[in-house]
Amino acid sequence: MTALPARPSLGALRRWLGGSFAPYVFIAPFFLLFVAFGLFPLLYALALSFTDWRGVRAPELIGFSNYIFLLTDQAFWESLGNSLYLWLLIVPVQTLFAVLVASLLARPFLRFRWFFRTAYLISYLVPLVAIAQVWKVLFDQDFGALNFALQAAGLSAIGWLTTPAWAKPTLALLVFWKSSGFAILIMLAAIQGIPRELYEAAALDGADGRQQFWQITLPLMRRAIAFYAVIATLAVIQMFAEPYVLTQGGPYMSTTTAGYALNQYMKYLDLGTGAANSFLLTLLVVAVSGIMLRLLRARDED
Amino acid sequence: MSHSLTPPKLSRRTLLKLLGYGAAGATLAACAPPATPAPTAAPAAATPVPEGEIVIWDRSGDLFQVFDATIASFNKKYPKITVRHEAVDINAKLATTLAAGVDVPDGTFIEDVNIPTLADYFTDITDWIQPYTQAIVPFKLRVNTVAGRVIGIPFDIDPALLYYRQDLLEQAGVDPAAIATYDDLITAAQTIQAKLGADRKPIHIERAAWAIPLQLEMFANQQGASLVNEKGELQLDGEPYRRALTWVKNVLDSGVGSVQEYFSPGDIQAIDTDQVAFYPWAIWFVYGPENLFKESKGQWRAMPLPAWTAGGARGANMGGSSFAIPKQGKNKNPQLAWLFYEHLMLSPEGYKAVYGPNQIYPGGLSTSLPAYTPAHAEKLFENPKGLGDQNLWEMAVSTVKDIPANYFYAPWYGQAAEIIAANVQRMQDGQVTPDEAIAASAADITTRIINR
Repeated sequence: MTALPARPSLGALRRWLGGSFAPYVFIAPFFLLFVAFGLFPLLYALALSFTDWRGVRAPELIGFSNYIFLLTDQAFWESLGNSLYLWLLIVPVQTLFAVLVASLLARPFLRFRWFFRTAYLISYLVPLVAIAQVWKVLFDQDFGALNFALQAAGLSAIGWLTTPAWAKPTLALLVFWKSSGFAILIMLAAIQGIPRELYEAAALDGADGRQQFWQITLPLMRRAIAFYAVIATLAVIQMFAEPYVLTQGGPYMSTTTAGYALNQYMKYLDLGTGAANSFLLTLLVVAVSGIMLRLLRARDED
Repeated sequence: MSHSLTPPKLSRRTLLKLLGYGAAGATLAACAPPATPAPTAAPAAATPVPEGEIVIWDRSGDLFQVFDATIASFNKKYPKITVRHEAVDINAKLATTLAAGVDVPDGTFIEDVNIPTLADYFTDITDWIQPYTQAIVPFKLRVNTVAGRVIGIPFDIDPALLYYRQDLLEQAGVDPAAIATYDDLITAAQTIQAKLGADRKPIHIERAAWAIPLQLEMFANQQGASLVNEKGELQLDGEPYRRALTWVKNVLDSGVGSVQEYFSPGDIQAIDTDQVAFYPWAIWFVYGPENLFKESKGQWRAMPLPAWTAGGARGANMGGSSFAIPKQGKNKNPQLAWLFYEHLMLSPEGYKAVYGPNQIYPGGLSTSLPAYTPAHAEKLFENPKGLGDQNLWEMAVSTVKDIPANYFYAPWYGQAAEIIAANVQRMQDGQVTPDEAIAASAADITTRIINR
């Protein structure tokens, strides 16, 4: 009669885990939820990206065809180009603007500063659909208030939302207006975290306001600025709602962002291509975030 | 594209139930107008009472409320069927739910354009609906038929009409009855411009990416064409589309076109400042004069579309929705879901409750017509105030017989529509000719969608 192999005892497992199950039990819910709602969908989408699946019948394995299609598709590259263009119009200017406004709002002697702080946040709280309607009223080519003012000044009307050249800046302005309150909030929090003693010491050393801004405020806000730049960049790459409500990606797909283009595949149940598109965007997001975080770390190490 | 559409297998128990339902239907049919076809009858003695629960999805918003209000009359007829009625964002949720196969409703609202894409998921109702098919608007029966089998229960049709400003035409001395062709329409617009001012842009030309293909398909449907033929072959590079786009170009070149997005703030402003006098659109345009327009409310009227050639067809359809019975419905009660829709759309109690005056629409649902023609015999919604109390019902019904039935949706219609819209916008801006817009769209659709 053959002896049964010895089963590892529960005690041995406990010892191997460091002497107690309790910590693992405590963190288990997170990992279970992460696997169920994070990891599994991610891997499922990855598998889907190698198939032709329109939501009906079984997915058909087609290798890298979806990726090859996207990487050779002019519309895919145009959507990335549109996102890059919007990034250039929004993120650098907005970051600078938020830093300047936050440093003004942080001044203790500014009158009505609570009013201003609230006022800047309102744009962030207003529903996007409502803002889009206002934008349509303001920027309408034939009846918009802006063109009315231009024509009153003897200038020609502009196709703010109807020409590719102007639709992108008009969309960028909407994003800028909508999200600047959030950017200011982050910068304001960063400024308020700077110890007052540094300013007092600088003042004793004869530094004026401008010097204090460049030598104290800005360097100590670097992490907040980098953080905002990263999340704003990711938001621009994934941007969908803003072009959806304002321009529907037009005219001639000139405001079709990377996120909007991805959504179109999902909307029309071209799920395999959509999954491949989402993974290409994921790679892009990871690469951009990595580069930005590396730049931040390099500066910190300096 | 092939579809494996076979009639659902019937067990002996199911068969008995259906025979019983048929008997109940026959009893009701006796009370219906003579034009109503009678469902298959069976001996009343063997009638089991239909019993069970069904989950029905409808598009959230006003239509959900309208349909919700009909459940009481359904339960009067079938007291043992419990309807769990759920308001859902159908476009966002239906396809994924069907693909996942979990918590699938027993019946669902669906836009016609999505029927071919999701056809494999739906129950073949050919045999059930057969007693009614002769009385359903042929166009609607066609879009609910895939691979020769009926898989959708028709809800509405959306006849296209030429909406016009009665007061502006009167001021300019234009007789709407004289507008028989689309060329006549341009001439009428030029007359209005000459009489009332050069700033008038009398003909609405659609600019929104979602609505351009919809209106273009309406123009094509009027000419008996659609984006694809019955074999699924692209028909864009053909005379109907060329004629329609050339006309749009002529309107713009003549300076009589108001290029705006449907009911956008700019569009409403153009309308309420008397710039627009003609709006070729589906019946649901009436929502504007009824609810959105301030200055021009009551001044709008509707007439049949002009013809593309003298004496040509003046009817067309633009949009529409239906109902379908998913095979994977959670309660496995396709027959009960069918009874619900049969009541809703194919019985006088149902369609009168949907289209007649109700709590949601006190004057009735005037934005479409029932697809079931016996319902056309009697006016169901009141004359809209926005149209100066014109009898819109009668006007719209009069065009139904002229709606060409030969219409096919492609499973990839949505993706193609985006491409077409972008090229038509380029054409509107004078960057390409109608021929170039058609050629570019056809090439893009072929390489990026069909031949992938």
